[in-house]
Amino acid sequence: MKTLLRDTNLIKRAFWLIRLRWAATAVLGMGVLFSIKILHVSLPVVELSIIAGAMVLYNVALFVLLRHITSDNKNPAHETISRIITFQISADIIALTSILRYSGGIENPVFLYFVFHMIIASILLSRRQSYFQATLAVLFFGALVILEYFEYIPHYGAARLADYNLYRNSLFVCTTFLVFSTTLYLVVYIMTSISHLLKQQQEWYEIANIQLREKDHLKNDYVLRLTHDIRGHLSAIQSCLNIVNDKIVGPLNEKQMDLIERSYRRAGKCMAFITALLKLTRMKMTGTLEMGYFPLKNSIFNALAAVQNRAARKEIKIGYNIEDGIDEIYGEPVLIEETIANLLFNAARYTPQNGTIKINVKDQQDSILFEVSDTGIGIPQDDIEKIFDEFYRSDNAREVERDGTGLGLSIAKQVIERHHGRIWVKNNPEAGCTFSFTLPKKP
Amino acid sequence: MEQAKILIIDDDPDITEATKIVLENQGYSVYTAKDSEAGLEQLKTIGPDLIILDVMMNTLREGFVLSRELKDNPKYKHIPILMVTAAKEKTGFDFKPAAGDEAWLPVEDFLDKPVKPELLLAKVKELLHES
Repeated sequence: MKTLLRDTNLIKRAFWLIRLRWAATAVLGMGVLFSIKILHVSLPVVELSIIAGAMVLYNVALFVLLRHITSDNKNPAHETISRIITFQISADIIALTSILRYSGGIENPVFLYFVFHMIIASILLSRRQSYFQATLAVLFFGALVILEYFEYIPHYGAARLADYNLYRNSLFVCTTFLVFSTTLYLVVYIMTSISHLLKQQQEWYEIANIQLREKDHLKNDYVLRLTHDIRGHLSAIQSCLNIVNDKIVGPLNEKQMDLIERSYRRAGKCMAFITALLKLTRMKMTGTLEMGYFPLKNSIFNALAAVQNRAARKEIKIGYNIEDGIDEIYGEPVLIEETIANLLFNAARYTPQNGTIKINVKDQQDSILFEVSDTGIGIPQDDIEKIFDEFYRSDNAREVERDGTGLGLSIAKQVIERHHGRIWVKNNPEAGCTFSFTLPKKP
Repeated sequence: MEQAKILIIDDDPDITEATKIVLENQGYSVYTAKDSEAGLEQLKTIGPDLIILDVMMNTLREGFVLSRELKDNPKYKHIPILMVTAAKEKTGFDFKPAAGDEAWLPVEDFLDKPVKPELLLAKVKELLHES
């Protein structure tokens, strides 16, 4: 049985139908009142009230039933929900036929409302069930029209609506009924075709999505293993170079010393890159972070202390302004501190001699806003969108520092988003740029 | 005084060799083993004064398992263990609690790979109470 909606959506729709029925019952009541009071159409109020009462009754029953089978996160079978919806629509068709029975039959254009039942059935139910509902409507309405036509049952004329006993006019009855029946079947045909197509597309997207996730996991796993292996080799290279560098195995001349130092430095850069990649990949693969409340100010001061030397070398002034409300926030303190340090190092790296770096931390009630602005080289406007992408480095950044990993900001983004925060960057009007992130204070 | 005996248990032959050179240069007697099994064999015969242990060998936690085994064994529990590892990156183990916490990480100290020679020597001296 194929329907457009997944089970949880189907349950929601079943409840939606119930809400819709309350509205329909209210409209029925108001419609009757309007017809009698304003239009002066005589209607059998008692009978119509009984129908409205019946609608209220089965709606309450349906609500209780649905509540019962979906309580405590129970997961009712698709078949069960589908059967309940089938019942709902069938009951509505009978109710609408009954209303028409007491309000003019084929003379009352309200019979057009059967189209709504067909649309709802086509979306929520299978193709077969939808055609079943169309047949039900045609049969019930047909029976009403025929019984009235042959006067087996009394006709409640909607006086003033149709004065000429249209229900006895064979040509009118036949044409209207024929158009009515074909309309219902056509609506079901068109709607179920569209639903079917959408359903297929939905399935394709879901499959594609699952495949993509699997591939991504596979890729991450691969990167993890690869980077770990490379790290092992680099570690061995550095260990060996260390010994030569420390002259433990004998003296070196100046040229040899220089070359060993260069090799060691390059191995170190490679190590930094691999370590960053490993970190990013591991973060993507692990489900939860170990979070807790921690004082944000401490993290900021630790990060400041870490960057101080580097800034001092270029005589960069660092100022900060932390609002009073900033205290403990919920998160993973090591990662947050690293992220702040990362942004500060970037600011120091790309800010020329005698520049300034400013830190602003603002209290935004439920969250904090952290801003670090510099008087550095800024970011080319075209790169603003891509700056957080893995391995992406803007050209002007490359000019300043050739060997960046292109991963620092990706890691920062990953960290902030794992904390349900947001990170972004804007160029300052005068010079440099401002990196900002928000972090919720509580989980 | 006789120089201390140090046993290195690590599956990377190059790192083992590098560490060995650094330590031998200081006059220590250095023995090596490439996994837990070989390490246990060596332990019986040489009775080292210090063990330098890698975490990840054949399995991710081989070093952890071995360190626990040694600390549970009355014959070996007195031998200090210096854990040398890059495990932090791969396993996500949190190294924040202090080494020496019996229940958590039963080793005397740990160092991240690659280890700088002077740092290694300082730790070794400290653990052998030579400093």
